[in-house]
Amino acid sequence: MIDLIPRYWYNIVPDLNRPLPPPLDPEDSDFSRIELLNRIIPKEVLRQQFTAERYVKIPDEVIELYSLAGRPTPLMRAKRLEELLDTPAKIYFKYEGATHSGSHKINTAIPQAYFAREEGVERVVTETGAGQWGTAVALSAALMKIKSTIFMVRVSYEQKPGRKTVMKLYGAEVYPSPSEITEYGKNELAKNSANPGSLGIAMSEAIEYVIKNDYRYLIGSVLEVVLLHQSIIGLEAIKQFEFIGEEPEVLIGCVGGGSNFAGFAYPFIGSKIGSRYIAVSSSEIKKFSKGVYEYDFPDSAGLLPMLKMITLGKDYVPPPIYSGGLRYHGLAPTLSLMIKDKIIEWMEFSEKETYSAAKLFANAQGIIPAPESAHAISAAIKIAKEAKEKNEKKIIAFNLSGHGLLDLSYYQKMEAK
Amino acid sequence: MIMKKLLVSYITLGYPNENDYLKFVKDADDLGTDIFELGYPPNFAKYDGPLIRRSYLKVKSMYKNFSELISRTRKITRKKIIVLTYLENIQNNLDEFLGTIKSSGADGVLLPDLLIDFPENYFKYLNRISEKGLDTVIFVSPFVPDKIISDVYKFSSPFLYYGVRPTTGIVTPVNISSLLKRLKNLTDSRVVVGFGLKGLEEIKEALSAGADGIAIGSAYVEAFENNGLSSALDVVKRVRCILDDF
Ligand SMILES: Cc1ncc(COP(=O)(O)O)c(C=O)c1O
Repeated sequence: MIDLIPRYWYNIVPDLNRPLPPPLDPEDSDFSRIELLNRIIPKEVLRQQFTAERYVKIPDEVIELYSLAGRPTPLMRAKRLEELLDTPAKIYFKYEGATHSGSHKINTAIPQAYFAREEGVERVVTETGAGQWGTAVALSAALMKIKSTIFMVRVSYEQKPGRKTVMKLYGAEVYPSPSEITEYGKNELAKNSANPGSLGIAMSEAIEYVIKNDYRYLIGSVLEVVLLHQSIIGLEAIKQFEFIGEEPEVLIGCVGGGSNFAGFAYPFIGSKIGSRYIAVSSSEIKKFSKGVYEYDFPDSAGLLPMLKMITLGKDYVPPPIYSGGLRYHGLAPTLSLMIKDKIIEWMEFSEKETYSAAKLFANAQGIIPAPESAHAISAAIKIAKEAKEKNEKKIIAFNLSGHGLLDLSYYQKMEAK
Repeated sequence: MIMKKLLVSYITLGYPNENDYLKFVKDADDLGTDIFELGYPPNFAKYDGPLIRRSYLKVKSMYKNFSELISRTRKITRKKIIVLTYLENIQNNLDEFLGTIKSSGADGVLLPDLLIDFPENYFKYLNRISEKGLDTVIFVSPFVPDKIISDVYKFSSPFLYYGVRPTTGIVTPVNISSLLKRLKNLTDSRVVVGFGLKGLEEIKEALSAGADGIAIGSAYVEAFENNGLSSALDVVKRVRCILDDF
């Protein structure tokens, strides 16, 4: 099986239609945020962030650990879902929930923790909302035999004790954010002691903690290097499609920062396979319908360089929908550019619609999807229904970015509605 | 045929004061600068690092007429003069701007935002620049896709500028050889490498990987800030030495 794992990651930047606007410091800046990255991010990760190589070699140890963590993940056909929808379309999905951490996040956590350990870092630090990313970092650090600290958005910390337990089981230190551990957290608590937290705040705490202690920060999404590592999803899927002798026409993924969508779809775009690529967000967040394409900070504190991206503004506080992974203001720069240029389409679905899609999918295929991933399912169902109306034998493929077995409080709440 | 490696010296117009600026140009010419790149202060030098941004702030408060400074520069050097500024600031009076710098003695322009911020109509701008009798040095970077590089490199003269890092004067980890190898596969132009080259080792690495020249800028500004003119000229000497020994 390990032979199915690609040996190179794919970087889309050399294949874009136009130049990617570079990261930059704001006009009134008295220090260089780009320089600061050297003290935040492991060197090799930073090098890969700014590379122009189309293919980047995956270290052997990372391939072994991909295998250990459950790669290659299965490409499955949702045959019973097709039947329930009575559609002539075929629906396939790549199941990233089959990894031990339960989502695609492990695909970048492993190499980032690996490069951190290679340069002698003793502790890696990050933030987590829903807990999928924190889990992946905790597991990767354990595999590398280094320590990890996770700042977890306070509402999730309280609502999702299961995630916290898993991270602690993997040896992570977990703090609810805002916390008393950092100045940023203390300030937020001073303003509002009942502050429920946000990804932006937790990210700012993690970065401050890293700078103060000379640890290294692992990035969960948005930056090109994360999309690069996630390309493992699409590269594997291309081989799997070749094996079964099919070619997908429509490729779909949900988006928070954009990493699982890009990881799945970019290799297909680069190989000129498929004719429609659809990124899906939430109609409660409205990233696509309300977001603007401009330079903005990826973190609330503004410690990272500005990126040109589709954004709702760094201080945007997303409504408390349960898809924690989609509650983020920005979007990866390459993805933003291709949305802007209409190479990639977008859709938005409400919490109610995605809940029905998740339930339908669970009953048809047996997998309980993460609420984030249910947005991709909603889009696949929509396209399959359109195919029925037009009587088209479309081949649809979506990325099922994670399972929802630790999102049961969400399902309970929706069940009760 | 082995061509001499180019030394492209960037300095902000009039920096740090008129006297030292003119002396710098004159001596940097004598010490083996092949081409001068003169920074014409834009409203916001967004793709530049803090050193160059500071130098722009300084000269903006000192001078009103930067074309006049170009004329004075022209009088003391016969080397090519490329004016670096941002298209964003001059697009509304482009012909007038180009006409003025041309009559002040400039040979060409370098607009770092041309490909990035004007992806739909950069060819139109390239034409307008050449109609004024000026060259364009095109700026490319790892953020520029292969197809665009293949389309534009022929229009870059007297060289193609490759910025290997995200911003000027800031060091981030890069693999200069692999970046350059990729670029060399896409173009047969003369390639000058710049943007935060760190130390003599990196200059050597760039040359070994096929760079036809090196652009230095932030290092001069930093030397000026720390120890003044003579130290900036030392940098010219040292870099010229590496280029000649290569
Ligand atoms: C299961 C799952 N899917 C999707 C996302 C959204 O992130 P991205 O757009 O980077 O894939 C997350 C983020 O936490 C997640 O946990």
